[in-house]
Amino acid sequence: MTLEKSALTLGYMPLTDCAPLVVAQRMGMAEARGLTLRLACQPSWATLRDRLLAGELDAAHALYGLPYGVQLGLGGPRHEMAVLMTLNQNGQGIALAQGMHGSVQSGDGLRRAIVAATRRLTLAHTFPTGTHAMWLYYWLAAHRIHPLRDVNTEVVPPPDMVGALARGELDGFCAGEPWPAAVEQAQSGYTLVSSAEIWPDHPEKVLATTRAFADTHPQTTIALTAALIEACRWLDHPAQREQAVPWIAEAIGVPEQLIAPRLIEGHGRGGRSHAARFYGRGGEVCYPWLSDGMWFLTQYRRWGLLDHDPDYLEVAEAVNRLDLYHEAARLADVDLPATPLRRSVLIDGRLWDGSDPQAYAASFAIRA
Amino acid sequence: MLRILLVTDTAKPIGQLSAALTAAGFAVIAEAPGARALAQLVERRRPDVVIVDTESPSRDTLEQLAVMNIAAPRPVVMFSDSADPATVRAAVAAGVTAYVVEGVAPEKLAAVIAVAQARFDEDHRLREKLADAEQKLAERKLIDKAKGLLMDKRGLTEAEAFETLRRQAMNRGMKLAEVARQLIAMADLLG
Repeated sequence: MTLEKSALTLGYMPLTDCAPLVVAQRMGMAEARGLTLRLACQPSWATLRDRLLAGELDAAHALYGLPYGVQLGLGGPRHEMAVLMTLNQNGQGIALAQGMHGSVQSGDGLRRAIVAATRRLTLAHTFPTGTHAMWLYYWLAAHRIHPLRDVNTEVVPPPDMVGALARGELDGFCAGEPWPAAVEQAQSGYTLVSSAEIWPDHPEKVLATTRAFADTHPQTTIALTAALIEACRWLDHPAQREQAVPWIAEAIGVPEQLIAPRLIEGHGRGGRSHAARFYGRGGEVCYPWLSDGMWFLTQYRRWGLLDHDPDYLEVAEAVNRLDLYHEAARLADVDLPATPLRRSVLIDGRLWDGSDPQAYAASFAIRA
Repeated sequence: MLRILLVTDTAKPIGQLSAALTAAGFAVIAEAPGARALAQLVERRRPDVVIVDTESPSRDTLEQLAVMNIAAPRPVVMFSDSADPATVRAAVAAGVTAYVVEGVAPEKLAAVIAVAQARFDEDHRLREKLADAEQKLAERKLIDKAKGLLMDKRGLTEAEAFETLRRQAMNRGMKLAEVARQLIAMADLLG
């Protein structure tokens, strides 16, 4: 098997869940598959996207919704994208400003605070089509708070959120670790919910590239995906995560104590844990479930980012490259599920199984 | 007249573009020092063009406005139909990203970018000539302070502290001084 390209540049954002990329480089999974990885930290998701489209990055750690937003051309460039695998589930959080700690300990408590407030509260997330926007909106709506009418929502770079909470410019935010942990350490806020409480074992970051790169570099893409599946498997071995802490801290430029507690806690076994899962029991975390991809489309429809129903399954099948994943899974010796759809029950008790996305998208009372 | 907003939250001297753009017949209506001010200024002042450093973390705030508000400026990128590829390449070379509202003529945008690029090229040369020594001194101070912090908090020797900084800079593809600056900022944050 000949690789079309062996030296790859991978983009990532400074978040704990970039871990699989770091481990694949440090533990030699990439090297064993003939790949040399250069990891390039990016200043924003927009710049990561532009560099991916321009070919300066070969692939990247990306918010699940990012390649979907680009595929549809939402608010920016339209370009054919490829999701190669899921890099993690869980591991994000919603944090509120310290001043609310006494009065707000639940979503219902937040609703009461919003009703009682003499000003509109401002909550931040990280990217318009990203996962944090969707977790925040879904969680608010599940507590009968309309995310587009009852509060101001805006995008703030995660490293700035700590200061913005302390200065009273923000009332809360949804972002990936280590930023919810960072506000607790700086005592400017507290974590109210982990993202796993909103959707247990929700899809989070993916390994993304352009469709053109995947189509012209199939063997490279398969080898890279296999190496990252192996890195995810390594990370979900309970004894090994601790070993990755200093590498991740170095890759994202924060102290180890911001990473360690919420990476190691519970080893990502779901529930209220703040930790991410990278592999699961049999690699089910890594699988690019079509139902996961379609879910983001249903929420874009719900919140008015899409003004009509797309062909949900067609888009998910075009973006999530099951063909390449199957080859990578064979190399990494991972089982494949019998169907590309999975069942999930979210915080409001609703079942999502991907079987009727149009009806699901239309079924929410609180919507744009 | 094209109404321009400048985002000035990185080391790139975008604020200094103001005079050059005004001289070239454009109206610089505001400067945003960070993401929060930026969101408010775009909503209130409705610029036609936003000029931002490619390295600015505030870009994602502009992306949010572009998705949520049809009238907000949209990113100009390499593959979009509306942008002249030469314009975009020039912008990328200058490390500048532009967000533009619908209806702005490509040649007008090209003129804005040309001014930005010329200004940054000139600035680059000037800085190299005049400020090189000064900057090196400032960077040395930052690195010394970061080394001190590492020696103090982690009980490292000076050589080990320097090696830690150097390795981190190499792994992250960043300048040593930038790694030092981040370390100092994070230490302040955590007390």
